[in-house]
Amino acid sequence: MKRRSLLLSGLGLGGALVVGWGLLPPRSRLGSADMLASSEGAVGLNGWLRIAADGGIELAMNRSEMGQGVHTALAMLVGEELEVPLARVRLIPAGQERLYGNVAMLIGNLPLHPSESETGHETSLAKGGQWVVAKIARELGLNVTGGSSSVADAWDVLPVAAATARAQLLNASALRWRLPAAELTVADGIVSHASGPRAHYGELAKEAAATPPGDVVRKARADWKLLGTAPPRIDLGAKVDGSAVFGTDVRLPEMRFAVIRHCPMIGGGAGAVDSDAAMKLPGVERVVRLGPYAGSTAALAVVGRTWWHARQGAQALRVEWRAPPGGPPDTRAIEANLLQTARTTADRGGGFTFHRRGDVTTAIAGAARQLVQTYRAPYLAHATMEPVNCTAQVRDGRVEVWVPTQVPGMARALAAKVAGVAESAVTVHVTYLGGGFGRRLEVDVVGQAVRIALETGGRPVQLIWSREEDMTHDFYRPAGAAVLQAGLDAAGMPVTLRITSAGDAITPRWIERGIPHLSGPVDTPDKTASEGLFDLPYEIANQHIAHVATRHSMPIGFWRSVGHSHHAFFSEGFVDELAELAGIDPVAYRLALLKNMPRHRAVLELAAERAGWPGHGTPRRLPAGVARGVALHESFGSIVAQVVECTLVDGRPRVQRVVCAADVGTVIHPGIVAQQMEGAIVFGLSAALHGRIDTENGVVRQDNFPAYRVLTLAETPAIETHLLPSTRPPSGVGEPGAPPIAPALANALFALTGKRLRELPLVL
Amino acid sequence: MELSVNGRTRPLPDDLADSAMPLLWVLRDLLGLTGTKFGCGVAACGACTVLVDGQAVRSCVTPLASVAAQRVTTIEALGSAERPHALQKAWVLHQVPQCGYCQSGMLMAAAALLASNPQPSDRDIDAAITNICRCGTYPRIRAAIRSAAEALRSTERRPARATPAPGPKP
Repeated sequence: MKRRSLLLSGLGLGGALVVGWGLLPPRSRLGSADMLASSEGAVGLNGWLRIAADGGIELAMNRSEMGQGVHTALAMLVGEELEVPLARVRLIPAGQERLYGNVAMLIGNLPLHPSESETGHETSLAKGGQWVVAKIARELGLNVTGGSSSVADAWDVLPVAAATARAQLLNASALRWRLPAAELTVADGIVSHASGPRAHYGELAKEAAATPPGDVVRKARADWKLLGTAPPRIDLGAKVDGSAVFGTDVRLPEMRFAVIRHCPMIGGGAGAVDSDAAMKLPGVERVVRLGPYAGSTAALAVVGRTWWHARQGAQALRVEWRAPPGGPPDTRAIEANLLQTARTTADRGGGFTFHRRGDVTTAIAGAARQLVQTYRAPYLAHATMEPVNCTAQVRDGRVEVWVPTQVPGMARALAAKVAGVAESAVTVHVTYLGGGFGRRLEVDVVGQAVRIALETGGRPVQLIWSREEDMTHDFYRPAGAAVLQAGLDAAGMPVTLRITSAGDAITPRWIERGIPHLSGPVDTPDKTASEGLFDLPYEIANQHIAHVATRHSMPIGFWRSVGHSHHAFFSEGFVDELAELAGIDPVAYRLALLKNMPRHRAVLELAAERAGWPGHGTPRRLPAGVARGVALHESFGSIVAQVVECTLVDGRPRVQRVVCAADVGTVIHPGIVAQQMEGAIVFGLSAALHGRIDTENGVVRQDNFPAYRVLTLAETPAIETHLLPSTRPPSGVGEPGAPPIAPALANALFALTGKRLRELPLVL
Repeated sequence: MELSVNGRTRPLPDDLADSAMPLLWVLRDLLGLTGTKFGCGVAACGACTVLVDGQAVRSCVTPLASVAAQRVTTIEALGSAERPHALQKAWVLHQVPQCGYCQSGMLMAAAALLASNPQPSDRDIDAAITNICRCGTYPRIRAAIRSAAEALRSTERRPARATPAPGPKP
């Protein structure tokens, strides 16, 4: 198990190969029909698909819908291969089997440089690493919606499952009608032959289940009808009439509501509790002490007849809170320590090396000019619109959990542990997620809700954190600092780049609290700590990209675009500084460094052209007081460039327009891709302009939206998205739009004011 | 106690309906109308927006006593499956929702805006829609409000039309 954890961190790739198991073929992900829950009249064909009596397709949905459109995208993959309109694909919940795990996400966690992992040009080390990790991922079967990986992961699975089902349906028809399968056609879920016979899938399903598929061939791209189009998302109807069921909307007979109060100091505890006043209030039923679960801080929960009654009770509790041993986290001290660590480590060329080429020491000595700068980023909260919540019921030795989660398997494991039952006695129902952004990769609230449900006499209980608890007890985007040093040649082009960053490692902490049996005795280097720094596409002959993994008591987690979320700000801000030092246009400078990276070039050129960047497309004259900036960044396999037009209103930055160009591989649904780019830009702008979490006397200061500002409609720029056509496999969509916006804005602000901002949020 | 919600007078349980209880929790936990959402509890995010006598109100800070004699309208009654509100149609046409959690409040705030100002300018929209969306659906909300306003205007010009306007095409 420890070896697996090592591999999860993306290293120690040789280890598993020595085990004989490593030579076996990878576990199939087609699965068998018995993996699907039985239902009236529907016939399962494999682990993913069932044919309903009316000919409709039922798809086992293993991914969580948190706004990214994954339910629609995965249904489209199936509808395409089975020749049915999207409306004929219905979703059924996927079970706990390993085939529903996420393989692509773990492959994406390998610390591979683009020069070794570009599709079709992978080095043998990269190929070997990907193969081994894929195999391990199939064995682990971790069901995670994250890492912008859902469509990439489904791409090699769902179309094959659907094409296999189609082949079985065709072969069954051929047998029934004694006609050659090649002469049959299929359209709108109906198999027919020119001579007259026709039947819909529902009429053929039973025979199909007993008929082998023979050779399975996926549809040719030229024959696609659905993929690449933008039909209405399948969740739209329920999301405009209030009927969509989020975690907080679960309603069960006799259900009770719970309100939580954590120790305000992160990691602290509760001493004496006086609950007399609370228990006297109407509608208040009980008080439950909660220890830490999966990284949570100790807390008290009050159970009541409504959430408001429970809240009245929670506010009436008198609690003697205790600081954690060693004191609560102090973000100012941590940020100062990160800066100091990055500086001292850079001075001695230390840190863990994520990427090295050439010899930076010699190159810097021979450089015509050099630049050294320090960049910083603060902690950030997720602030999903739906506060953290979970509903649980424990009765007759069984546990049921309703939760908006990105990790149903982890939720199930923790629920079983807390209730003291086998995992097979736990059922997890995944609701719609009112935003995820990485917060719902955590299962702390599941442990709390199940613990409370042990006290409610078999009644279900719904625990909803208040916004204040949600914001002050998050797993925050870690703060970071980096020293960037470049040497330029006489022409102003960089010949050497050294980046030394410092920050806490997310992945080992997450494994430790959520999948403890996979946790190793020591932290292995975490790719997320250096992503967006070690894997830059620019051709710079000498590079040393290193990271110092620190460890502080502030709880940290995955936050939309993870390491890229601030590293792109560091790297693309710095590259802009180099262009300025060289006296070269920022777009031209980047293009000159991308001579051998045609996809990156194409994305940057498209953004520049559509934005009317001088020298590209139709030049767009900006009025006085408006300036533009650009950034380019690859993350989650996708490349995004953004051009920002910015002005000042009352001395503060106001973004007016963003032109976004992206190569996300094959586009499944261009409308959803555009939505995700828009959403990521707004999310990134919130962080760039306002985002900061800090502590005072051990307590997080930002406790609600007035103190943790996010972008409003009035502050939102016009956004246009342009997609590069591609026949590559689909890559990430949910996150890659976020990283470039902060540096593009900072670069625009430099053009506007001459002031170079190297710290987030951007304050002039 | 009772409350007029979505055109019906609904009795509230005497043991739980407290005059200080915010309307949000009355709707969600006493009446089971879960379309109205809890987002912040301090009237900052607008996820809990409902109409009280046609005005957009943030129900998380609105005590039950203050609306006892008024008409409350929630997302559940903004339109119906057969006759969706012009805003709901526009929301589908522009594919506005992502996670969807804030959208009930957005729609109710937009409905109040159009009811009082059938031709809102961008500035009017900016001023009226102060709800928070973390998914970043703002640009589409703006576009959808404009197109719903346009649709309402053209319906007004042709009040005698027998057939409803066609819905969004897939």
